Formats: sequence, C-alpha cells, structure tokens
Amino acid sequence: MEVKISEQGGTMTAAFVGRLDTPASLEVSRDIQPLLDNANKTLVLDCKELSYISSSGLRIFLTIRKAAAAKGGKVIVKDITDDIRQVFMMTGFLNLFEVRNG
Amino acid sequence: MTERHLIFHNDIQQIPQLACFVEAIAEEASLDQSLAMSLNLALEEAVTNVIMYAYPAGSDGLVSIEAVIRDDALEFILSDSGIPFDPTEAREADVTLAAEDRPIGGLGIFLVRNIMDEVTYRREDGKNILTMRKHLKQNNN
Repeated sequence: MEVKISEQGGTMTAAFVGRLDTPASLEVSRDIQPLLDNANKTLVLDCKELSYISSSGLRIFLTIRKAAAAKGGKVIVKDITDDIRQVFMMTGFLNLFEVRNG
Repeated sequence: MTERHLIFHNDIQQIPQLACFVEAIAEEASLDQSLAMSLNLALEEAVTNVIMYAYPAGSDGLVSIEAVIRDDALEFILSDSGIPFDPTEAREADVTLAAEDRPIGGLGIFLVRNIMDEVTYRREDGKNILTMRKHLKQNNN
C-alpha cells in the first residue's frame, strides 16, 4: 500500500495505490497527516488504483472528511472501482463524499 | 464438499494472509471476483475483531478459520480461545448519519452482517465460535 501526495494550486491530491486493509491502514494513518493539515483546501482522494478497502481504511477516509468539515475544505473521491463503490454504498459512504468518476 | 483451514497468531500483520485464503476458495468454488472481495472483507472484519478484543494486548493466541465449500453455500467457522466475545451483540454503526455525526468505529461487524447471510455466535469448550454463512446461487449450468 502506498499513498502518493502531491499539491497543485489550492488542491492536494492523495493517490491510494494497493490494498487498504487493517495493517496497511495503520501505516497510512501516519501518511495522511499532510491532508489533515491542509483540510481547509480541496482534497482529492484518487482511488483509481485502490483495489480493496476494509473498515479501517474507511475510517481513514472518514477522518479526512471530518477534518475538511471542521476546517471548511472540500473532499472529492475520484475514480473508485466498482468493488470499492459497492463497499461505499453498503456503508453509506457514497452519501458522505462527492464521488467523481472519469 | 471441501474444507480448507487457516490458523494464525493474533497479530494484525497476519491479515493479508486472508486474501490468499479467500482467493483459493474463490477458485475452488468458481466465485466471481466481486463476491471474493466481499468475503475477504467480511473475514478481515471478523478476524480483526478477534485480534483486537478476544486476546489481551500483547498476549499470544491463535485464530482458526475453517471454510466449508458446498454447492449451495460457503461456511466460515472462526474460533479462538480468547475471552468471551460475541460480535453479534456489538453495537452496529448507523450508516445514515452525516459525516460530522458519524463515529469513527463500529463498521466492522456491520460489514460482516451485510455481506454474510447468516452470522451466529456460540461459546463452547472455552472457545468463541463464530459461524458465517453465505448462500450461493446455483445457476452455473
């Protein structure tokens, strides 16, 4: 699992690559600090190469979403696969995020 | 009917093994990839619960998963010798709440219940035994 963070203008993008299972999420929870620090901006969570997510991974997404709500930023979840969309739908996460595909 | 077993220590770093375990079952039962992912997810949540709650932090314990593959259903029997813990009694997440109001936890058991068709718990011979069943459609012919 890898998170690639880049910044351009007022937008910070985090590309999640691989499987966000419980042990991976423990590591990633440290990597997302720049996103939490910039939660007043637009945060794009690029999920094109995110192949799996468990509740621990969802917790990371929710943490980012809560930070943005608190600091007045915006979160866009980009290019989720059908499998991840299914998990988002099941857990009500589709209602919590602006999801953009394509 | 075939059976497969997986036994591992209560260490969260063992979780990725589940992916290989489910992959082998998916191949044997000719499951589509989407169902395989859902089963992987349900098993991860159930096993994570055991690792986090059944054994005191730092103590060693074993988690055993038995998978029974039938034509019409898959059955996963998860057992451990930890403290009595019934995940079916655990408080479930409210997935209709807004982001601001959603608690960070509680999604694990919710996912298990939603993915599996039957989830039952019993305490037997000092063990927690969680049985999860998934019905399979028999329209392969």
